[in-house]
Amino acid sequence: MSSEGFAQAVLRGKVVSESGEAIAHATVWLADAKGKVADESGRFELAELPKGAKLKISAVGFETLLTEWPAGQSEGVFALSQSTSDLEQVVVTGSFEPQTARSSVYQVRTIGETEISKRAPMILQDVLNTQVGIRFSQDNAVGASNMELLGMSGQNVKILIDGVPMVGRQGTSNEININQIDVNQIEHVEIVEGPMSVVYGADALAGVINIITKKSADNTWGLSARVQEESVGSSYSPFTGDGNHQRGISGTGKVNNWDFGLGYSQNRFGGWKGDYTGRQYQWLPRNQDFANVRIGWGKDAISLDYQLDFLHETIFSYGPETRLEMLDQHFVTDRWMHRLLGQWDLSSKFALNWQGGLTSYTRDSETWVSNVRTGEHYPSSAPGAQATIKYEGFSWRTIGNWTLGPKLKIQPGVDLNLENGSGERITDNEGMQDYAVFLTGEWTPNSWIQIRPGLRKAYNSLYDAPGVIPSLNTKFRLAKSLDLRLAYAKGFRAPSIRELYFDFFDASHSIQGNPNLKAETSDSFNGSFNWSPKAKGELKTSSVLGFFYNDVEDRIAYGQDPENIQITTLFNVENYKTTGGTLSQTFRYKGLETNLGFSYIGRYNLISEEIEDTPQMVWTPEVTANTIYEIEKWDASVSLFYKYTGELPAYQTVVDGENVTAQEVRTDAYHWMDLTLGKELIPNLNLNLGIKNLLNVTQINSTATGGDAHGGGSSRPIGYGRSYFLGLTYQLNK
Amino acid sequence: MTALLAAASVFSSCSDDPDPVVVPPNESGLIEVNGGGATYPNSVFVSLRSGVQTSVARTTWDLAFSTGSDFKVLINGTTGAMATATTETDINAVGAAEIAAAEASGELVLSFTNLAGIEHVDDPANPLSKPVIAAVSATEASNMVYLLSRGASGVDAKPWKKIRVIRNGQGYTLQHADADATTFSSLNISKNTDDNFVYVSFENGVVDVEPAKEEWDIAWTAGTSSTPYPQASNGTLAYFYQDLVYHNIYGGSSAVQVAEATIPYDDFDETDLPTLTFNSDNRLTIGSNWRGGGGPTSAPAVKTDVYYVVKDANANVYKVRFLSLTKDGERGKPSFEYELVEAGN
Repeated sequence: MSSEGFAQAVLRGKVVSESGEAIAHATVWLADAKGKVADESGRFELAELPKGAKLKISAVGFETLLTEWPAGQSEGVFALSQSTSDLEQVVVTGSFEPQTARSSVYQVRTIGETEISKRAPMILQDVLNTQVGIRFSQDNAVGASNMELLGMSGQNVKILIDGVPMVGRQGTSNEININQIDVNQIEHVEIVEGPMSVVYGADALAGVINIITKKSADNTWGLSARVQEESVGSSYSPFTGDGNHQRGISGTGKVNNWDFGLGYSQNRFGGWKGDYTGRQYQWLPRNQDFANVRIGWGKDAISLDYQLDFLHETIFSYGPETRLEMLDQHFVTDRWMHRLLGQWDLSSKFALNWQGGLTSYTRDSETWVSNVRTGEHYPSSAPGAQATIKYEGFSWRTIGNWTLGPKLKIQPGVDLNLENGSGERITDNEGMQDYAVFLTGEWTPNSWIQIRPGLRKAYNSLYDAPGVIPSLNTKFRLAKSLDLRLAYAKGFRAPSIRELYFDFFDASHSIQGNPNLKAETSDSFNGSFNWSPKAKGELKTSSVLGFFYNDVEDRIAYGQDPENIQITTLFNVENYKTTGGTLSQTFRYKGLETNLGFSYIGRYNLISEEIEDTPQMVWTPEVTANTIYEIEKWDASVSLFYKYTGELPAYQTVVDGENVTAQEVRTDAYHWMDLTLGKELIPNLNLNLGIKNLLNVTQINSTATGGDAHGGGSSRPIGYGRSYFLGLTYQLNK
Repeated sequence: MTALLAAASVFSSCSDDPDPVVVPPNESGLIEVNGGGATYPNSVFVSLRSGVQTSVARTTWDLAFSTGSDFKVLINGTTGAMATATTETDINAVGAAEIAAAEASGELVLSFTNLAGIEHVDDPANPLSKPVIAAVSATEASNMVYLLSRGASGVDAKPWKKIRVIRNGQGYTLQHADADATTFSSLNISKNTDDNFVYVSFENGVVDVEPAKEEWDIAWTAGTSSTPYPQASNGTLAYFYQDLVYHNIYGGSSAVQVAEATIPYDDFDETDLPTLTFNSDNRLTIGSNWRGGGGPTSAPAVKTDVYYVVKDANANVYKVRFLSLTKDGERGKPSFEYELVEAGN
């Protein structure tokens, strides 16, 4: 051994189970996104220790261990207890540093890498569409889909990538389009229900969806590639044109303190004609290209991670046949998103972390003319035929973590959000600047109580930011395997730039934003019981029973301008409420893992304010059953994902002369099922084949009638029919 | 393309003729209607016989006085104008109270939420058959003052007017003023039987709008239309539609819709004429039927499964089919082509 090696004392560790058996290939995390992998016999070596000697050790099937290197020792043995739930996941949303979902004071739902790969997703919606409490509705006019979380519309959900808010809310639904995210980059998805406005600010009113991207923590280099071919209903042609085609490649590498990642993915969705026979599509064809660059650096107490994502998307809306001039629209989105994440452990008592984002988002609506008789094809020069909407967003959040003692941590933070929006139908404005400070802390008076209060105060340049936003999250360990979480939080949704500055006047529209809007606010109470009993032989179970109540005030809604009734504008006028319960039950027996979900959610019936004999809340159930069966001896798996989306009742007013009455309308229930068969063909090469939308759902009916030109039709698009897929994934790490 | 060439050859053969005695009707043509663009500011009158189109801004006029033997006055449906009768015969007696009442009820706003709108517009299909302003009575005291919204559909709203029309021999006298004024102006209007109507603007008096009654066959315009709607007055909802096509029912034109499935456009000839029943009292025979779609989930489009047969005042019969809603992608510039099926007298 050289003198150099001698000077640098090597620390040797071993990872074992509670019964003392070695655990192979456990991951030993030193700091955020840095780690080592233990060998076959559970052994690992460390050249140096992080500040505070903190380690996090995780292995499949075991509870993640957060521990410290034994002081003064050069060897250590770390015992992991067997996971009581396979879904034991490390989560980051709402907490300063990664922690197990079980120890988080928030009820965090995670969709892990295994499940995501079994879904064989083309878009993120493919992953979320059998989640309980999440519903999608298609906006096929522009090729987008809108989401609803526990009865609240998607504009109330904050979408984060690695904690950094996404920019580019679009369309009348004012939502982030979650399908503009590269699924191949996703490591796991965390969903927190209920307001997270203290930490995440505006729009985290219904909850937060935090998309955690893949990191190359433990490999010298890695390469992965994916190809998937899928039919769109019965239409398909190989690799291009009809059907749904995806290919992606990514590589990672690590040199000294640096690590790098590079990725590219391509989605080609050929669209679905549905009832159309001519040029038009019911589901619009869509091309997406994603590129990603990642550079990480970490040394001693500092780690930095820079990522750049690029999206280029074109959605093609082909106009109807005519005998002379046909018009097509292309919706072209370009998005650059820079993220800088980092952590600095200044001392064993104080650390800082930050999440910064800079996004530039442009969406062009192009109109193209095709002249049938001359064969010419050219962009239209008509006024408004070429429109652009542009958003620029900058966000920066810094949180300090100050350990005041073993029982008390406080986390002060600042959050800065700047957004500019401009373009067609938006009046000139100076953009929005939002500055906020917040303070949260976690007090653990004893081993079974965790209390996390929080306060946020914001200043906004455009609208009156709500006063001090409070939250209180608590967790009680009622028994070794039973946790109770209770929380109260105030949430808010900021009026969007579009709601403030909308300007849409033409011959048939007179719509104007209202610069005097204030934020919508909500009071939310939620709680959950989480029961994870010790395994009985090979059978492991865990149950989560949750309940919630949200009361939204000053909801923004369209109305007639009192000064000019010809103009439609926006006001803080409506009330809204949601309440309900969810139940999630997981079973694991040998290679079989099943999650059963149930929810029963009530949505506020606004009409009950005027017409008293209608119920205040209307209720709808959901049932999910997601099962993965691993057949180890064949290196194969069978997965079935199912969701029943219950009938959705609502009320609409019927005016008959002087009489205004309420009429109940119902949107039909439907069943959705996806089936995947997986097989490892040769080491590192996996085959997925299966059927999406096994029950061949295309649309559901609603008894709602449209009273005006834009009234919804009587059917809602849900899917494009039973589709078959075949995919190959290659993954190599050294 | 063939239609274009044919039209060009007809023109050139005409202009080569040094001294045409009789101008034969155009045998075919392709008309790109100059509706003015996406805000469809113009009404456009087209003569198939000559291939000439006349574009007139929809805001040019306010009232149209019938030149027939009856005494009837139309309001400007192409701007969505609406009127309501007051109980007064003295124009100066109408003012704040009537304005407030009409504003409160919203009856003079053309919208999907105004279920009584149809009572305040001229009949969209045959306005002279049921005008909102009662036929002008020979008994002067029977002619009421009307409150008039000049329309705000696709045009800038203007202040409301109050009007009263009385007979003046074989013509009319119009009394008009701003709705809240205490004095009024008078204008005498005489009938000109070469035209269907004499058009009047409050600002400019008698104005030129429609070509002479035999000089046009079909017109494209935005205007007030109606649709069945059970909750509305008379089961009919008045609404504004930006792509109406009228045929000249008061000038002797008649029209009928033919389905491609019945007789394809290309095959249609004079032998098919006896199977058709031409309509001469509903100017919405073409109306909005040539266009489909338009709504949250479907783009507006020309229907490709129907076409029209139009007979002009000289009994020339044309088959007419619409081609597109746009010119270079710009709305409000539709086009159609037509061919002579049978020459008239």
